[in-house]
Amino acid sequence: MLRASVQKSLRQTYKLSTRFSSSVAAQYFPEEPISPQLVTSSIPGPKSQAYNDELGNVFDNRATYFVVDYVKSLGNYISDADGNKLLDVYCQIASIPLGYNNPALIEAAKSDDMLYALIDRPALACFPSTNYAQILQEGILAAAPPSMTKVWTALSGSDANETAYKAAFMYQHAHKRGSLDFTSEELSSVMNNEAPGASDMVILSFDRGFHGRLFGSLSTTRSKAIHKLDIPAFPWPKAPFPSLKYPLQDFIKENHDEEIGCLQEFERIIVEDYEPHKIAAIIVEPVQSEGGDNHASSFFFQGLRDITLKHDILMIVDEVQTGVAASGKFWAHEHWNLTTPPDMVTFSKKFQAAGFYFSNPELQPNQPYRQFNTWCGDPSKAIIARSIYQEITKHNLVEKTAQVGDYLYDGLKQIINKYPGKVLNLRGEKYGTFIAWDCYDAEVRNNILLECRKRGVNIGACGDVAIRLRPTLTFEAKHADILLQVLEDSFKAV
Amino acid sequence: MSVSATYFPTEPTAPTVKTTEFPGEKSKVAIKSLGTVFDSRTAYFVADYEKSIGNYLVDVDGNTYLDVYAQIASIPLGYNNPALIEAAKSDKMIRAIVDRPAIGNFPGKDTEEIIAEILKIAPKGQDKVWSGLSGADANELAFKATFFWYQSKKRGYANPFSEEENVSVMKGQSPGSPDLAILSFERAFHGRLFASGTTTSSKPIHKLDLPSFNWPKAEYPSYKYPLDKHEAENKEEDKRCLEIVDKLFQTWKVPIAGLLVEPIQSEGGDNHGSKEFFQGLRDITLKYGALLIVDEVQTGVGATGKLWAHEHFELSPLPDIVTFSKKFQSAGYYFHDPEIVPNQPYRQFNTWCGDPARIILAGAIGHEVLKHDLPALAQKVGTYLFTKLEALQQKYPKYLQDLRGKNRATFIAWSLDDATARNKFLADMKTVGVNIGGCAENSVRLRPTLVFEEKHADLLVEAIEKVLSKY
Repeated sequence: MLRASVQKSLRQTYKLSTRFSSSVAAQYFPEEPISPQLVTSSIPGPKSQAYNDELGNVFDNRATYFVVDYVKSLGNYISDADGNKLLDVYCQIASIPLGYNNPALIEAAKSDDMLYALIDRPALACFPSTNYAQILQEGILAAAPPSMTKVWTALSGSDANETAYKAAFMYQHAHKRGSLDFTSEELSSVMNNEAPGASDMVILSFDRGFHGRLFGSLSTTRSKAIHKLDIPAFPWPKAPFPSLKYPLQDFIKENHDEEIGCLQEFERIIVEDYEPHKIAAIIVEPVQSEGGDNHASSFFFQGLRDITLKHDILMIVDEVQTGVAASGKFWAHEHWNLTTPPDMVTFSKKFQAAGFYFSNPELQPNQPYRQFNTWCGDPSKAIIARSIYQEITKHNLVEKTAQVGDYLYDGLKQIINKYPGKVLNLRGEKYGTFIAWDCYDAEVRNNILLECRKRGVNIGACGDVAIRLRPTLTFEAKHADILLQVLEDSFKAV
Repeated sequence: MSVSATYFPTEPTAPTVKTTEFPGEKSKVAIKSLGTVFDSRTAYFVADYEKSIGNYLVDVDGNTYLDVYAQIASIPLGYNNPALIEAAKSDKMIRAIVDRPAIGNFPGKDTEEIIAEILKIAPKGQDKVWSGLSGADANELAFKATFFWYQSKKRGYANPFSEEENVSVMKGQSPGSPDLAILSFERAFHGRLFASGTTTSSKPIHKLDLPSFNWPKAEYPSYKYPLDKHEAENKEEDKRCLEIVDKLFQTWKVPIAGLLVEPIQSEGGDNHGSKEFFQGLRDITLKYGALLIVDEVQTGVGATGKLWAHEHFELSPLPDIVTFSKKFQSAGYYFHDPEIVPNQPYRQFNTWCGDPARIILAGAIGHEVLKHDLPALAQKVGTYLFTKLEALQQKYPKYLQDLRGKNRATFIAWSLDDATARNKFLADMKTVGVNIGGCAENSVRLRPTLVFEEKHADLLVEAIEKVLSKY
């Protein structure tokens, strides 16, 4: 923990020294294109098509946007197989932290630590390496949300959430059981997948939430039917998530009432639909990302925290998409200033490593080999996460992202107001570059995405009618200017 | 020169033991320090991977173990294999690490080429792959594929979802979220996420306090050893178990979409099934219109003397899905039926859809396995080792009960009286410089690398005898 606090104070020092320094993108990527470069009349171009056709013989490629030349991609620009260079504000579904081919990450990838992590992948919990504690301390744990002191590592967002659910179930049953050992009935029934050995507890999630696509995580995912159809699900409850009206300042009362209504329904479900202690945990995203970039206020999240505490329910915050600086805080839930921190915070995507943070030692199950698997994470990803954290700190990218986000938001506000019939509900003010808006309908949305691509911007959708911005943390005002111009032209064109 | 000598000219010629306790002092300190931030209660010792080489794993106290556990059966070619070092230093690898793609949306120019490499060692007849991140992930992705396939057979592959399905699914209710099951076996291990955990049936501690789907379990044969002296009984056992499987298909409360089975139940005790048993399973799945999923997470990639253990069974028709992870470093499933690809994109999908860095490594592993014909090497060494163990069994029958894995290369196991005896044996093996693993309550399993040779087998047998001679 000493190391973690040293890192945190380093963060403060860097903040002062680099606050007004020049472009970080220019330092990392002196050769970064100054604007999109288009060489084919449409994207995907002929080479992309050819590569993709070949790939389709062996791998499901029907969701391909275009085939990428990662060697030629640089910084905020993604290069496709035909040589088009697009400004990328989608970034591998929000998972590229520091731009393509970032030199600091290349250095980490070439390090001896990385070499051994790749070729001698350990079964971490049985045969940890000499440096794993240090890798965690200097990286993943140095970046831990306020008051979080421990981590369990996993491999993806779904995996991170499911291991957090496992921790929640084991914690709640341990509380119910007290100091008693497992009963013989539990020991035998569990082998038939039956209660009492198999849990009858549930995880509550929110309407329009997205938490992954394995069977437990998918049961909590409520984004789209196509994500869930034909797959057996646990009968777990969902509560409503606020649908706020924009602009927020014009709907203060309505939105407050909406949040109160959601909190009341949330507590009603807990009290009326379930016996006490049957809901092990809730899981919630700071911004429901796949579900449409749905925001709620600190009041709502504090309400969730208060109600979960009142009913002994754990609170898991899913920061898979919101975490690692894009919201203008390192962790988006820091915006809420909760009176009691969440019990677990999950991460993946931009951190490249995945897992969950916690502080209560009882979230480690009472016996070993319960939260366990062969690899228990991947040191090679933890090494990359360490470099990502160190670069973010060194270049003060949290504050820089907050600043460029404000700049971008102001610009967008002006443009969006000009096309009220096409685009609306701009959201993500004072929330870094984690910005989104709605389109009139799905058709307009898809046309805008295509118009953007035609003009050299790779941009993503979410929910039914929203467009989301998920640029890297090295996205700066100069990139924002290009993006704003392309967006305005695209809005005009549809 | 032997393969291991070619790869590892400086590999130690014998284990070195420096401490009297395991973990040693330095390991204890490091485990405690790690424990403040990461659950380290299961740590055997802290390893120094930089100093480890070939079949030898070095710990921070300087103990050099002959490693026949190999990171729970997941090190394919020995520690610090030069061919893997080369792959890890390649430009392709650096790129895969620093620009990790969302492969489903933005595949790279080299994605097809990278995937083609792991298809070169695909099981016979399997020509497509979907990639995941771990064994549990691979199996759950296979379950999803199975459920998609099963429902599409009912609905018609190209037919749309009904309004009722689209609405009910958002509540997690049938028919959109259908009541369907995967059948697995008692003593099976398929992973520890929620659906894979449901199919796992190895030990209560793996499952307690976690919600499960109500999916059926059949019995897996329990053979008498040696096999050649119990042919009739074991044949009866196959028949008995197959009848149970058949009955479950007829009587289980919800339809069974797929049957999931390990060629050798590894965590569950290295339980073997015969060729006839597996063909019987294949026949039953065809009879009831379910898929056969073979979990080769632990058995795959050469260790049983074939690239994939189920190839020993010569199944006809071939299994529908074969899952892999562990020694392959990458994870996922192989298949061949184009209708196992769901009818629409974004159904079998996630952010990363695998990890090119790991697929590149798997490609390099596959390349070496083929180049040196390592399954054949494992078969040769395994036969040699098994014979020696049989001789040892004559001398110490109490400590080498039910010796199994004949003709399954180095995938060998045996049992002791109980957990206490087994655990003592495993611990004692450390005092003679061997890192060795258990499975189930009372069994010992050998899971060496694919570059484990006669000279290592001699050292292993010698070490076992040294321990047993004191009992």
